[in-house]
Amino acid sequence: MASPVRYRITHVTRYKYAEPVAICQNQLRMLPRDFDSPFVAVKCQRSRATVRPQPDQLVEHLDYFGNRVLSFAIESLHQELEVGVHSEVSVAPGSLDLDGDRTPWQEVRDRVDQRDDSNWFEIQEYQFDSPRVQRGPLFADFAQTSFAPGRPILEAAIDLTRRIHADFDYNTKVTDVNTTPEEALEMRAGVCQDCAHVQIACLRSLGLPARYVSGYLRTVPPPGKERLVGADQSHAWVSLYAGESLGWIDLDPTNCCISDVNHVPICIGRDYSEVSPMRGVVLGGGDTNLKVSVDVEPVG
Amino acid sequence: MTPVSSASPPLAQYRPVQPRYDEYLDPGGHRRPAWQVVGPVLDRLGFEGLRTCAAEARYMVHESDANFRMISDQQSRPWKLAIVPMAMDSSDWSRLEAGLQQRVRLLEAILADLLGPQQLLKQRVLPAELLSANPEFSRSYHELPVAGHRLSLTAMDLARNDEGQWYVTGDRTRAPSGLGYALENRIITSRVMPQLIRRSNVTRLASFFVSLQQHFNSLAPRMRDNPRVAIMTPGKASYRYMEDAYLARYLGYTMVQGRDLAVRGNRLNLKTLGGLLPIEVLWRHVSDALCDPLELDPHSSQGVTGLLQSIRDGVVAVTNSIGSSLAQMPALLPYMEEANRFFFGDELSLPSIPTHWCGSPEARCQVLEQLDDWLIRPAFVVSGKPPIEPRRLSQQQRSDLISQINARPHQFVAQQRPTRSTTPVWHEDRLHSWHVAFRSFQLQTSTGVEVLPGGLVRVSPDTESLDHSPSSGRLGQDCWIVSDQPVDHEVTLLPAPGSELRLVRGGSELPSRVAENLFWLGRYAERSEAIARVLRTSMVRITGENDVEDLPDLPRLLAALAAMGQIEPDYAIQGLNVSMPTLESVLPESVFDRDQPQGLQAGVVNMVDKAAEVRDRISLDAYRIINRIGDNLVESGEEAARDMGTTIERVNRLITDLIALSGLANEGMTRTHGWRFLQLGRRVERAYQTSELLAATLVNPIADERPLLESLLRATDSLMTYRSRYLLQLRAVAAIDLLVNDDTNPRSIAFQIESIKELLDRLPATEGTLSLGPDQRIAETLLHRIRMSDPNILARIEPRGRSELEMLLQQLIEDLPKLSNAITARYLIHTSAPQELTGRVDTIVADKPNGPG
Repeated sequence: MASPVRYRITHVTRYKYAEPVAICQNQLRMLPRDFDSPFVAVKCQRSRATVRPQPDQLVEHLDYFGNRVLSFAIESLHQELEVGVHSEVSVAPGSLDLDGDRTPWQEVRDRVDQRDDSNWFEIQEYQFDSPRVQRGPLFADFAQTSFAPGRPILEAAIDLTRRIHADFDYNTKVTDVNTTPEEALEMRAGVCQDCAHVQIACLRSLGLPARYVSGYLRTVPPPGKERLVGADQSHAWVSLYAGESLGWIDLDPTNCCISDVNHVPICIGRDYSEVSPMRGVVLGGGDTNLKVSVDVEPVG
Repeated sequence: MTPVSSASPPLAQYRPVQPRYDEYLDPGGHRRPAWQVVGPVLDRLGFEGLRTCAAEARYMVHESDANFRMISDQQSRPWKLAIVPMAMDSSDWSRLEAGLQQRVRLLEAILADLLGPQQLLKQRVLPAELLSANPEFSRSYHELPVAGHRLSLTAMDLARNDEGQWYVTGDRTRAPSGLGYALENRIITSRVMPQLIRRSNVTRLASFFVSLQQHFNSLAPRMRDNPRVAIMTPGKASYRYMEDAYLARYLGYTMVQGRDLAVRGNRLNLKTLGGLLPIEVLWRHVSDALCDPLELDPHSSQGVTGLLQSIRDGVVAVTNSIGSSLAQMPALLPYMEEANRFFFGDELSLPSIPTHWCGSPEARCQVLEQLDDWLIRPAFVVSGKPPIEPRRLSQQQRSDLISQINARPHQFVAQQRPTRSTTPVWHEDRLHSWHVAFRSFQLQTSTGVEVLPGGLVRVSPDTESLDHSPSSGRLGQDCWIVSDQPVDHEVTLLPAPGSELRLVRGGSELPSRVAENLFWLGRYAERSEAIARVLRTSMVRITGENDVEDLPDLPRLLAALAAMGQIEPDYAIQGLNVSMPTLESVLPESVFDRDQPQGLQAGVVNMVDKAAEVRDRISLDAYRIINRIGDNLVESGEEAARDMGTTIERVNRLITDLIALSGLANEGMTRTHGWRFLQLGRRVERAYQTSELLAATLVNPIADERPLLESLLRATDSLMTYRSRYLLQLRAVAAIDLLVNDDTNPRSIAFQIESIKELLDRLPATEGTLSLGPDQRIAETLLHRIRMSDPNILARIEPRGRSELEMLLQQLIEDLPKLSNAITARYLIHTSAPQELTGRVDTIVADKPNGPG
């Protein structure tokens, strides 16, 4: 197993409201959790959330997928909200022989469908539609090119990842948080959320189990340049179930790669709707101004 | 059709439809045991007696609490009751009851497993796709803590096959509707035939409702002896709104909507005028997915933000628990037997309707092979829509259906068409043999499962309409469980005489939404009355002996009607040029004109709608009057003759009813904030309408004002007072004094403004403020202005008319709407619209083409 890399992650979200907010109720899915699979081992070393103004309630629970959810409410008038999450996470890539596995993709699917796969129960729920990702012939057609019958699953999946990366224009202006995978596929454009949704739709339309991963990506500065503090972003990618021996393999269609030690997964779900880092309802507020700063700094 | 003879007893002529199981006659043509007492009494009543009972029942249904419907809602079908009940003997019932109890325990076990350990899926008793391919399964439902059981109140829809075996056609585990109607059917049937029900040893329903109350109290996390229990209703637009209001009144629960509630300080609270009041138990009738916009559907306006967290915190009991609709999905039906064996190791005594879930490949093949034999329904939701009947489809529709099933097999179930028993139904003066759909209600408590001894019977001459939805069918019937022993009569919903009761006064518990609706109810009632009075005065003048040309006051009255929004301003401007025939049709037509947004029709429709919004806060008597006003003016308006005479008669009745309504409010309502808002609405509106009326009639005086003054005093119900003071001397100054300045006349503007000020002073003040609210300031200013005005000066005619009067009235006409807005802003709008935060910046400029996203 490769040696783990340790990161210090700072994620600060600042809302400024034009008018006073009477109450806000929020849920954060930003606190790191542990993952332990043959592909990657992630350990949350420490984490701390700060909310200003002081929340009246602050509680944490685990959701259905095992993600850490922090719920808080502020019940006094305020015109600014600042949420900071500070954590330290170690990421250790597994020692899987990714090239050595030649399992045909249909076999992976059929073994789950036939309940022969020992993990079938946990896996199968990622084969179907979810709130933001509906399967369809459009996605199956797009995926078909990569998934010739009998092709090894990982090879096919990497080819699909590569094609999405090549075909899609990374563009933050054409999509928003509510863009559907159909629209993104039509435009061949979007951000990481859109690319991940499209790839999940493609994989599920073939019957393969695929899930959504939210997290962070360490950005490596160009040679000779300083690392810019706070210029990182939250990120999202895809996890594909590649059979019993490989398990879940993470693929990043935005960056055309199998996820590596630079990826820090935070939450998993069936799609964005189940892992959105911050979800809230406020009363009042008027126009809002949002600023987000993310810093992923390797330490030790 | 069998010829009807009035000579022989009604049941003797009853012929059941063959070969169905008949609830009344056995195959040998003998009365079944349950009917041994009931049958002969019905026969003795004879056709005439049953006709009388039916007429009485029809009247009671119409007047019933549970039947109030929105007149703006043309679709809502009044519920109808056939008076002859369906009788079942107690041994037959006990068998059914045991089966129902067993099924409730099973549904509870299934639900607890699906939302918990999921052993049914892991052990492959149920296909895992029932959850994983089920769009209704929000992952937030999983592992939500529950107080007691997940299911409190459930219902099952039943039918009886030709062998007399009951079977379940559907389960209702979210928030079954119909319990209120079952109760009301019983109340009406027993009022119409009191002797019969007493003599026949019919099991009472009341004990079920006592258990229901006790059970809900026991769920409360705190204050178990007297917790605040609220029924959360989806709102006025929902089919179940009237029933929710009925149950809230019957059980003494607060009826709330999502916007009445707020999660604050980790509690669920009711937002009232007096502040926040914690709710311990929420009986929710809102869909699972709509209960909390923070964690479930973010676009829901029916739910409460933060509800799920307060459930996780254990500070409120929500029942049936959120996610409970999963237990009613039709896709479960094929697996009920297996699941029961898995949990309990025994057999189900009550079978389910034969059902195939198309997500199973074998079942799908079987269904597609014999497609015409089946009814096709959605697999995951209980739908109000009729099922698809493949045999009635065209070739094209049929192949479309097949490809839909093949593309999304998980989404469909195929069910056999139910066979149903028949029972005698009194309809159009004779007994028919109609098909039966029976809904039973169950209550699961910590000690077991109680089944309502009775239920909701729906009957129809064809079986198809009963298959459509749980509320379809032609008529409803009561269901009697007849015992061979006398039954206990002593149960009542009133508390035991010895129990301790905390004395309570006042009513700060008024939800802000209710206050708002009462305020508008008052305004619309008053507006309707003001318009009706001027209208009546005008019509009576026209139908008098004089020619229209000899009615100098008429143009001014028409101007007033135009200012009030009752007729187009053209008529007022044309004045005397309007010929008699035109006026004779224009005024009556205007009474039924739905297109004038400020007119009488709109006033009445809005009044009835606002009353419906606060259904649970208005006495039954007041309701009946409001119902009658709606019927009289709106419902029958279409076909009514529209001549002057008939219209005057209708307007007369309207005014009488409106006066009765305001009398009831004065005599029957406690002086709580609710009453204050109703009065505020009335006072604001009356002051406003009187100002409009005076401005239109007196500001520009006509030559001889006497007939006009008389009409004006008549229209403001002040003629008697005037005559007692001044006999026949009609002078403008005296009329102005009486209608503007005299604070002893309940019709004067001074009286309205004084009342408004007093009412506002008694409303709860904003904490920590000593100064007057903006509403109080406007009221004080107006009151001062009126008090300082002198009727002699107001009545003075200057070259440009009565300019002092005009200035005063103009100020009132401008400031009263502002006052109304200030009241609304201060007390009634607690919240601006919520907005959603997503934490995602959507419009940052991309300068790193391959950067993370």
